[in-house]
Amino acid sequence: MGKYIMRRLLQIIPVLFIISFIVFCLVYVAGDPVALMLPEDASQEDILQLRESLGLNEPFYIQYFNYMVGLAQLDFGESFRYNTSALPIVLERLPATIELAVAAMIVAIMIAIPLGIWSATKKNSAIDVVATGGAVIWKAMPNFWLGIMLILIFSVMLGWFPVSGRGTWSHLILPAITLGTGIAAEMTRFIRSSMLEIMNQDYVRTARSKGLKEFFVIHKHAFRNALIPVVTITALQTSTVVGGTLITESVFSWPGLGQLLIQAVNTRDMAIVQASVFIIAFIVIAMNLLADILYKLLDPRITFR
Amino acid sequence: MGRESLLEVRNLKTYFYTEDGVIPSVDGVSFTIKKGETVAVVGESGSGKSVTSLSIMGLLDAAGKIESGTIIFEGNDITKLSKKDRRKLRGNEMAMIFQEPLTSLNPLFTVGNQISEAIKIHQKVDKKEAKKRSIEILKKVGIARAEKVYHSYPHLLSGGMRQRVMIAIALSCNPKLLIADEPTTALDVTIQAQILQLMKELIKDKQTSILFITHDLGVVAEMADQVIVMYAGQVVEYTDVFTLFKEAAHPYTKSLLASTPKIHEQTEKLQVIEGTVPNPNAMPSGCRFHTRCPYVMEKCMNNEPVLTNIHTRHQVKCWLYEEEG
Amino acid sequence: MESKENQWSDVLVKSKQGHLKRWLRLLLKSKTGTIGLLIVLLIIFIAIFAKLLAPHDPNQINAAMMLKPPAWVEGGDTDYILGTDNLGRDILSRIIYGSQISLVVGVASVILAGIIGIFIGLVSGFYGGFLDNILMRIVDSFLAIPTILFALVILTVFGPSALTLIVVLGVTNWVQYARLIRGEVLSLKEREFVRAARSMGVRDHKIILKHLLPNVISPFIVISTLSVATTIILEASLSFLGLGIQPPTISWGGILSDGRDYVATSWWLAAFPGLAITITVLGMIFLGDWLRDVLDPREKKV
Repeated sequence: MGKYIMRRLLQIIPVLFIISFIVFCLVYVAGDPVALMLPEDASQEDILQLRESLGLNEPFYIQYFNYMVGLAQLDFGESFRYNTSALPIVLERLPATIELAVAAMIVAIMIAIPLGIWSATKKNSAIDVVATGGAVIWKAMPNFWLGIMLILIFSVMLGWFPVSGRGTWSHLILPAITLGTGIAAEMTRFIRSSMLEIMNQDYVRTARSKGLKEFFVIHKHAFRNALIPVVTITALQTSTVVGGTLITESVFSWPGLGQLLIQAVNTRDMAIVQASVFIIAFIVIAMNLLADILYKLLDPRITFR
Repeated sequence: MGRESLLEVRNLKTYFYTEDGVIPSVDGVSFTIKKGETVAVVGESGSGKSVTSLSIMGLLDAAGKIESGTIIFEGNDITKLSKKDRRKLRGNEMAMIFQEPLTSLNPLFTVGNQISEAIKIHQKVDKKEAKKRSIEILKKVGIARAEKVYHSYPHLLSGGMRQRVMIAIALSCNPKLLIADEPTTALDVTIQAQILQLMKELIKDKQTSILFITHDLGVVAEMADQVIVMYAGQVVEYTDVFTLFKEAAHPYTKSLLASTPKIHEQTEKLQVIEGTVPNPNAMPSGCRFHTRCPYVMEKCMNNEPVLTNIHTRHQVKCWLYEEEG
Repeated sequence: MESKENQWSDVLVKSKQGHLKRWLRLLLKSKTGTIGLLIVLLIIFIAIFAKLLAPHDPNQINAAMMLKPPAWVEGGDTDYILGTDNLGRDILSRIIYGSQISLVVGVASVILAGIIGIFIGLVSGFYGGFLDNILMRIVDSFLAIPTILFALVILTVFGPSALTLIVVLGVTNWVQYARLIRGEVLSLKEREFVRAARSMGVRDHKIILKHLLPNVISPFIVISTLSVATTIILEASLSFLGLGIQPPTISWGGILSDGRDYVATSWWLAAFPGLAITITVLGMIFLGDWLRDVLDPREKKV
């Protein structure tokens, strides 16, 4: 198992390499940050001096080399807006984003698992029709719009929750529901179709033939089998979930990575943008790796190779 | 043959409600299994023999429904039982072995888990005792390293081994009725013989009755006391095994026998039954076999024959024997 | 279940009209498929005839008519059925015009993504080896960056405009096509007709164009319909964040972004454009699901 994880970790290196190259190219093409960094009345001399000191007069490959050296030391450059190294600023925002993502995942799991199982075991029943119909509609709704509508109903009209910000539990509820139900829509569909397939398996019939209660037939024998593909697919969606978090943060003014990033994009603070992209890509890759390992742990038929 | 009867199926009708209409998979089947007796149900796929067994076990899926008829098990009509009481019978009083040992065991649980599960449900024993009994029964079904197999996952076992495990699960609570749905069809010939031998030994001194579903007449000769021949959801011939092989009466049974290779006889070529089992939602009128019957008469096309006694304990559903009855 | 080969020979044998008829019959059999097609056709119709359908000039500022609620709400004006925004512009007209940019960006970027993805998928699957390895690592890298994040970064660099948006969404979405097509090609490569062609010495590009390309079209059509749906949401999200379509061009995401500040007092500003997006996307999902049932009997999921 250790060997397997090592091999997978080694596979990540070229991916990170390519990502760094893509990001570098984008920053390179973005061109001169100097104009943004100096006051408007800066002299030509100041500009030239700053360019020289930032290494912007060097040819492409030298700049790339310098960039990679920095990267190896986890140095993404200085944010000109905060006047400090970019990474700590990004890491400081990370807990808020993770808090939201985890809360949303919990909401999603709490909705999707019972709903997916019910609708599969009671196929074509009222529950099934509502669940599958709801899942499609939820998938069609833009998440940020759902967020705004929830604010409208629960904050503005009913006054139950604060409109935006972070701090107490009640701040967390609406963003977590917005993001969580969005994820749940997709997840419910996966669980349902996975369960439908499993419920027709011979071993489910065997379990029934032993006189097992239907509850255990479904939750012990069928669900554990249905879970395996669901775990994989859910992990592969980390990227989508993180993307959704960015937008949800913006809707609820949640002070996480997404808000920081959108600010940085608007002010063209490339150091922050780079660092954020890297951290997010790293999280996505790590989640995929975790899913791979989990997948193998869940299924005894697969051995670590 | 004055033994007590264990199971009596009377005029069982099981229909499936599908998008394409109602399919009468089992259409008026009756038979009796006595204690300690093995009854074989023979027929092509689609004849309703598996559905009959699932109806008895109460394992029909959502689309299938027992339309009418009674299934009397130890004096009680089990079609009238609540779901809960029905479940208490399953795995305890009556157990089932399935055709596909490769897919009939849950891949995510150890063999031990799956055997002791059945024991724990019905025998109200603790984990340790369940484990002890599981290992015992594994040894009984001829698994040498029972302790090791107990802890292994099904995918590590061969098909024959898995079927032994299935038998172990089925027999773990000493059922009175064992339903075996083509238990050897998916296995190699040598393994087949071993499994049949094992089943015979295990029930020998236990008074366990077996309902043996098969399409293989060789297996019937090996195992059965009584034989039911099913065609298109109905019983067409019902007799003891000796009579069946000596003087099969129904044209369908005769063709089945003729299409089975025999080692001792030098037949030129095997006969093939022309045509296929009729589509269940477009059953032929009259005798359902008339479309394929070599002896078909005018009468067969419009009038359905009744299952009648041609001798004591030899029932046939065919117009050829109507006058004699 | 019909095999794919049968279907394609069907295409060849039957006249185009006969084929269309068969599809139509299959379509009418599916309720959601019919609804989906009707919605999509309706949206296309609205986008094309926006000028004729819109009751007002969508950019007409009217200080006297600011923040009027929808007609059925107290204080509403039947002239402005869905109400007006903070500048007195008619919401209905703005939504009607907004459909244009959603469809154009959605369809154009999917076509762009399709062209890149199909090309890379074909080459990667057909040649395999080192090239395949490199291309697939690139695909992995793209998959590790959320589409919206990637789009944000590119939009920062090149500045927001409809054209950039199309390119951005095209460039970020090609990955899923490349993966799908590569998978298809890998299995097609082992099929007799491709092996036969290769053994007869048919040139690579001819095999790719004549034998592989036609066979990957139907899975492509299936996911591109669903992909237009997700792209429309993505475009709206970016426009909502202020990084997509810029005013005065009207987009649904843009109207929503304007309306967000007035949620507390004037809910209709944000509610209706979102509803428009939801209905459009729903139509495309229905249509896409139906296409998958018809074109791809194996029910491939991406």
